Amino acid sequence: MRRTSVFLVIAAMVSASCSPSPQQSATPATPAADAASEEGKQLSALAPANLAKPRPKPPFEVTGNWFIDVSQNPEAWRFGPPYPKLTPAAQVHWDAAKKYTAEGKVYRDDIGQCWPAGLPLIMTRYWPMAMVQIPTAIYMISGFMNSVRIVYLDGRKHTDPDIIVRTYNGESIGTWEGDTLVVDTIGFRGDHHWMDQGGVAIPAGEQLHIVERFRMAGNQLEIEYTMTDPQHWEGEWKSTKRFNRVIDEDIQEVSCLPDLNEHLQSTTSKTQVLQ
Amino acid sequence: MKRLLGAWALVLACGVPVLAHHSPAAFDRSKEVKLVGTVKEFRWQNPHTWIEVLVPDEKGKEVLWGVELTSPTYLIRAGWKSNTIKPGDKVTVTVNPVRSGEPAGIFRSLTLAEGRVLTERPARLGTADSK
Repeated sequence: MRRTSVFLVIAAMVSASCSPSPQQSATPATPAADAASEEGKQLSALAPANLAKPRPKPPFEVTGNWFIDVSQNPEAWRFGPPYPKLTPAAQVHWDAAKKYTAEGKVYRDDIGQCWPAGLPLIMTRYWPMAMVQIPTAIYMISGFMNSVRIVYLDGRKHTDPDIIVRTYNGESIGTWEGDTLVVDTIGFRGDHHWMDQGGVAIPAGEQLHIVERFRMAGNQLEIEYTMTDPQHWEGEWKSTKRFNRVIDEDIQEVSCLPDLNEHLQSTTSKTQVLQ
Repeated sequence: MKRLLGAWALVLACGVPVLAHHSPAAFDRSKEVKLVGTVKEFRWQNPHTWIEVLVPDEKGKEVLWGVELTSPTYLIRAGWKSNTIKPGDKVTVTVNPVRSGEPAGIFRSLTLAEGRVLTERPARLGTADSK
């Protein structure tokens, strides 16, 4: 009985110290919070007021599950060959990958070590990509590690470079040009980010800029890629991919769990060259 | 006749492209290793299912082999279930081994004690005609 009383007193003290007082909870919103609702502030792509804005009907909808068309070429997931002329900064990695591959080793397979695939490779993994299109954005979730990519369609501009948070899929802004959706992506992470895998090593850097032109080609989704990264290659690297609609599978929860590679011994074997 | 248990045979394999979450370059697609042993663990999960098999070597010492498979999505299409094998089952598993010589490989086929043979399906979804 006495022990119960002590417990109740302690519980009351903890509750009092953790809960906001009536005065605290009545504190007005901060100026920053006020600004979020001010006219002109970028609304979330999911804000009802943004969704409700009048917009022209889009030329097509990409909502669906998509899978890279490898029916003619199982290597169609790669964005080369042809590959662009590499800079010395990239050539060193290309050469190292060729050397180690010839020795039966795997050079810098960061995806295999659970780093994100990132754009562009995330689009052509051998897992379906779920796309959900709403008036303000296209939400993409890859069946590969459930990587999320958002293409904003609500007229916003790219984030100020001084505050953008660099990511492996970057920041994507889409605009409609006739029957084509043009998606401009910047803001990439430049470490552990690669343009290819499996014997071909070309780094993707912070200057990577990808323009994708989405079109519907019959029942297929066609995306024409134009990619530049002056740190790693000269000029424009172009590649066109077609994707098939998947109607009998949904994406699933997929994670690179902490014990995954412990049981996929090839990823921790002596074949791996990690640095 | 050489005792099969604990022995592995190298034969030519036809190259079948399989994309894992990692580079497939670690595996020697020109070789097949036949593992005759006992299932230690079978994990039915994304992105890869895997099997650990205890395989006696030439001296009778048990060696733990790791076998990497594709995702359940494709295994289901090839007739697999989460209970197709369980710890303690006697199995024969054929793999393409890693090039380093370590006891690991990527899956080619499984023969159950009852004689049923299971493989994988190519990792491919959708067709150009899908609407």
